Amino acid sequence: MTGARARELLLGTWRGRVALAVLGLFILMAIFGEAIAPDDPDASSLDTLAPPSSEHWLGTTESGADVLSQILAGARVSIVVGFAAAAISAVIGAAVGLLSGYFGGWTDRILDGLDTWFLVIPTLPLMIVLSSLLEPSLGVLILVIGITSWAGTGRIVRSQVLTLRERSFVERARALGASHWYILRTHIFPNALPLIFANTVLIVAVAILSESALAFLGLGDPTQISWGTMLENAFSAGAPSAEAWWYVIPPGLCISLLVLSVSILGYLFEEYVNPRLLEHEA
Amino acid sequence: MSSLLEVSDLHVHANGRAIVDGVDLVIDRGEALGLAGESGCGKTTTALALMKLLPGGMSQSGTISLRPPGLEDQINIERRTERGMRFVRWRHISLVFQGAMNSLDPVQRIDAQFAEAIALHAPSAASQEIAERTAELLETVGLTPGIGRRYPHQLSGGQRQRVMIGLALACRPSLVIADEPTTALDVVMQAQVLQLLERLREELGLSLILISHDLGVLAETCDRIAVMYAGRIVESGPVRTVFENPQHPYTKRLLETLPVIGGERRLAAAIPGAPPHPGEPPQGCRFRPRCPYATDRCLEDPLLRTLAPGHAAACHFAPWSEWPEVEQPAAAASEADG
Amino acid sequence: MNARWLAGKLGAAALTLAFVLVFNFFLFRGLGDPTTQLARLPQSNPEEIEQLRAEYGLDKPLLGQFTDYAGDTLTLELGVSQRTREPVWEEIKDAIPWTLLLVGTGTLIATLVGAWMGVKAATKRGTRTDDGLLGFSLFTYASPEYWIGIILILVFAVAIPIFPAGQQVTPGAEFSSWFAEAMDVLDHLVLPVTAMTFLILGQYFLIMRSSMVDVLTEDFVTVKRATGLPWHRVVSKHAVPNALLPLVTIAAIQFGLVAGGAITIETLFSWPGLGELSYNAIADKDFPMLQGTFLVFSVGVIVANLLADCLYFFLDPRVQAR
Repeated sequence: MTGARARELLLGTWRGRVALAVLGLFILMAIFGEAIAPDDPDASSLDTLAPPSSEHWLGTTESGADVLSQILAGARVSIVVGFAAAAISAVIGAAVGLLSGYFGGWTDRILDGLDTWFLVIPTLPLMIVLSSLLEPSLGVLILVIGITSWAGTGRIVRSQVLTLRERSFVERARALGASHWYILRTHIFPNALPLIFANTVLIVAVAILSESALAFLGLGDPTQISWGTMLENAFSAGAPSAEAWWYVIPPGLCISLLVLSVSILGYLFEEYVNPRLLEHEA
Repeated sequence: MSSLLEVSDLHVHANGRAIVDGVDLVIDRGEALGLAGESGCGKTTTALALMKLLPGGMSQSGTISLRPPGLEDQINIERRTERGMRFVRWRHISLVFQGAMNSLDPVQRIDAQFAEAIALHAPSAASQEIAERTAELLETVGLTPGIGRRYPHQLSGGQRQRVMIGLALACRPSLVIADEPTTALDVVMQAQVLQLLERLREELGLSLILISHDLGVLAETCDRIAVMYAGRIVESGPVRTVFENPQHPYTKRLLETLPVIGGERRLAAAIPGAPPHPGEPPQGCRFRPRCPYATDRCLEDPLLRTLAPGHAAACHFAPWSEWPEVEQPAAAASEADG
Repeated sequence: MNARWLAGKLGAAALTLAFVLVFNFFLFRGLGDPTTQLARLPQSNPEEIEQLRAEYGLDKPLLGQFTDYAGDTLTLELGVSQRTREPVWEEIKDAIPWTLLLVGTGTLIATLVGAWMGVKAATKRGTRTDDGLLGFSLFTYASPEYWIGIILILVFAVAIPIFPAGQQVTPGAEFSSWFAEAMDVLDHLVLPVTAMTFLILGQYFLIMRSSMVDVLTEDFVTVKRATGLPWHRVVSKHAVPNALLPLVTIAAIQFGLVAGGAITIETLFSWPGLGELSYNAIADKDFPMLQGTFLVFSVGVIVANLLADCLYFFLDPRVQAR
């Protein structure tokens, strides 16, 4: 994604700048969070469910661990799972969309039927069913979210490929004797790429929310701290009843802000892609 | 004054730009005025302004006086509030759009659309009366009363156009504004609709403002014509006079785009260039950048001057007794302008 | 036309459902049948396991197993919960009404409020009202619904104790009348429904707003205004009904989201619906129950889509012609 227009959208608009800044902040948190955390996020102490103080800026958890440290450490899971799962989803969605749109016929009927099925079936229950069969880990989470979130991308890509397929440059290439794979690789795929990219950014947001939900339900990686598991722990430890707002608000707030910033960027990319689509039509 | 409508110094602004920049119009009772020009010249905006139907972001100024027959006082439209306009709209002035798919509410039956408009201005009317009036109107425009039970999408383009015309007549207005009423139709339908408008005009004594980019359509139906360019009127006069003896270079070029039966066989030349953006009018005459006859004199803004009774043009060099030879652009594309 | 259209939709629904059955079947049998899970337990007895296998029909060929499974499922024989040893269907049967109550009320309120907000924002497009509503919706969309739920509990059930923090009725309470009991349930319903509403409100608002903005640019809106109709009537009588049509279609796609929300919210509020059953089944690795709830959720979403299609057919005269 190059071009003055992309820069204009990202840096020129107020929302673009803020979203980029917030996302950047969270990515930094994901990389350096644990290192700069004041305490070991897993460290327990006797000071349980204590409100914020000079020692613990965001108070402590039910096992006396420092909430701030956990927040800083938790960014990694959300970022890693979000982007990795979205990447898998992008690959599957793009492949399905490209093949079904380009080849048509039975390939299309089967693949599009599969796409429709994944769109109709409730996603979280599906993810739950898949993850409960496997031992919980980051890899499992990434895999499960990745293979259940591609349907939207698949549909959009298929639709674009259908348009592209009828273009004159494709006909010309075929007349020159180019193979299907060549056409897909050189003509169709590069033109579909911006759309895939824009859509995938939005899937990152969905993936982050999915990871948190699975973690909240106890299907997260038990060896990692994530904001979702923080909420799970907070809830089972009775944080609401203890009015431990310092434990309850930050994790959810972080999820919201991260998802918001990614979503805003996603919408901006979509704006960027759409006018260009129209240009191609002209 | 026997004129029905007098518009003076009409301006319409959007985002600080002038879309309509000083338009004067006079329409007599029973007269048909054609408003011609490329798309974007401000014709539709002018029409909407007459009924104060401009969208939220636009503002208008100038006086619009309506003297419907039978009413003692004139209606000063520019002074009316939105609420006040409700009694003017449809009752005295109505509107006919292109009969495109979504000019009529897609989820409302045709007879309900008629009933709504009628009942709005005759609140005490009984439903029987309304139904009768609806049937009458449908018949007037050449449709069977059975059409009433249908939805807009079940009608053909020509039928929808007739419905729109019938709807416009529902409250017996004295002025009907038709905006591109034949654009979406094929030639046969076009002729039928124009004939219908002509007949109605005679029978009901309607005044008509017909807006079109198609000069042929205007030539058939209108008594007078006003040519608009970049938000202003550049020429106005009786239809025959303007067509046979145009006095503005733009009018002349527009007329040249009409193919002539029995005339030279040549491609119709498009006018090179494009109209100016609303916020950036060129200095002086707005047509100057595209005018083959422009000189330095044209850096001064020409006003609309009366050349003969009823015929006015906004050009320094009018009256033109003959048009000098200019180079035609080679192998011009035959696309219509605009 | 009507009958053929309906048959087409039903056919598609049946096909989707069939696929769910196939999926369910292969997932659980393919990844290791229940007996291998049992075989891992120290006290397992090889003979007992063989017996269990015969009982479950696991010694038959795959296709035979599948037809058994399909047949069982369609007669609501969904197996026995590994946790409670009760038939899965019995527990699910009791849970469904509670989930419907939660999800139905939430959807209804979200539709009404979301649509109203959408109309407001579209008619006041570009103003601060519009920006405010957009910002609010974007935030609720980005926020996990269970997080909002926890905050609701903290504020409205603990800090300012107006509403109960969980369950569907006050435990151990006696009620003088059916009405009094209904009121108690309603009292318990408020917070979970609020959380559910927040989940889908944002989407419905965005769709309605976008739909209204499109409709307001249509010629017929100008024409209606030109006939002398007051603006508020143009909006309510003509613009809104047309704008609602895409809302019905796109809202149908959100049903999956609602199912997911039901799980997390019911877990949070100990609401005795399908969601809570699923949650408990996760913890205990109760596969028959997980299969059962997944199946019912899927059926629910398929049926909801079908109902939405029918509603759309009923509302849009243009579809009826096809």
